[in-house]
Amino acid sequence: MPQNRPFLLKTASKSIAMVMCAFLLAATTGCSSARSELQPNAVYDPLEPLNRGVFAFNNALDRALIEPVAKVYNFLTPDFFRAGVQNFMRNLRSPLIVANNVLQGDFKGAGVATARFVMNTVGGIGGLFDMAGANGLPYEPEDFGQTLAVWGFGEGFYLVLPVLGPSSLRDGAGLAVDTFADPVRLYAFNRDEKWIYYTRGAVEGLDNRARLVSAVRDMRRNSLDYYAAVRSAYTQKRRSLVRDINPDAPAKPQAVQYYDEGWE
Amino acid sequence: MISLSLTRRVMMLGMVLALLLPAAAAMAEKKTDATISFVQKMGDSALTELTDKELNGAERQKRVRELLRKNFDVQTIGRFALGTHWRSATEAERKEYLTLFEDMIVRTYAQRFSEYSGQQFKVNNARVLNDRDTIVTSQVIQQGGPPIAIEWRVRNSGGQPKVIDVFIENVSMAITQRSDFDAVIQRGGGKVESLLVSLRGRKK
Repeated sequence: MPQNRPFLLKTASKSIAMVMCAFLLAATTGCSSARSELQPNAVYDPLEPLNRGVFAFNNALDRALIEPVAKVYNFLTPDFFRAGVQNFMRNLRSPLIVANNVLQGDFKGAGVATARFVMNTVGGIGGLFDMAGANGLPYEPEDFGQTLAVWGFGEGFYLVLPVLGPSSLRDGAGLAVDTFADPVRLYAFNRDEKWIYYTRGAVEGLDNRARLVSAVRDMRRNSLDYYAAVRSAYTQKRRSLVRDINPDAPAKPQAVQYYDEGWE
Repeated sequence: MISLSLTRRVMMLGMVLALLLPAAAAMAEKKTDATISFVQKMGDSALTELTDKELNGAERQKRVRELLRKNFDVQTIGRFALGTHWRSATEAERKEYLTLFEDMIVRTYAQRFSEYSGQQFKVNNARVLNDRDTIVTSQVIQQGGPPIAIEWRVRNSGGQPKVIDVFIENVSMAITQRSDFDAVIQRGGGKVESLLVSLRGRKK
């Protein structure tokens, strides 16, 4: 019954989105006051025991399987190959980036993302080459978690997702929305070719993890509490993405505030 | 009469400001220029002095410590990294903590530099954050990968520029360190001693 699928999908996505919204509202209005005022840049983590459990599971899975595969991938493939894979994966995300830019009211960003998509798909042979990046149109990731942040939703609380890793209530909800709206998934599921979607997910995950091999090793080695260090780094990174901080652009007021937390 | 003198005063003020503004801008520029060359010099000497593969571990650590003390305000960073626990720490705990903290940084960076090869360091620009601090943006250019964005928060302490924080791809090392330390202390029942135990253990 393939003709039933889109309908089922629609209702499912709607109800999940509604639950997520209810969650977000409860979290952002109810919990924000409970946040620690003493340590600036602190991360609200009421589910810490559970999160630590999931984190330990992810870490074990990573050490046993994902990291070794990523290392082999780095070892076997030349640099240009991995660059091509990354370009291709990013290009597939372009429609989502355009949509999120529009939802954030960032029409300049939407224009850049659209131009990138056209240039890289046509001139970059289906997205294998980042022609746009070489011509002054850099890649800038946008997702629905960032869109929710622009709309005024707080992070809610820190969340470690199984396999996928660090997230937050807001970013997790954003991820769910991005997943449902993802054109690649819609295409693959409508054509009943789910393998396309799962393969894309696996390759994207491998590509991301392979780039982090030395960063993860460094962090494991040099932190006293690896969980806490990752939680902080992830949250800082997300906050900088939400504020669209570009180190080479002139400082915006929010950037100054971002830098100026807790120094005496 | 009053309005005239007021106009005159405003004009005078305007003239004075017009004279002063370029001077202030020039001063700010001079300050950022000096900070840029400070960071560039530090990066260059780190890459030449610390990445030599022939160096033995002890010698590399010695050089890292020298460079660290010369260019970083380790005391300010250490204090920041301890966060609110600095206040509850005893004088003896603070002293031991700062020693252990410096040792930890030295070990970490000695190891990082021993693995570096072929990277280039390029300072891009600087901007004044407030009357004490300047942010210098730079890149480490590596082969077969995108450049890594590194920012340096430089404080003018006693006429000497000193780094007080490093941001790697927008992630502050000082803030990450503070979260790490805070978690250790929280799990140790809020005692600074628990962090000291953990840091001492790392030394072995």
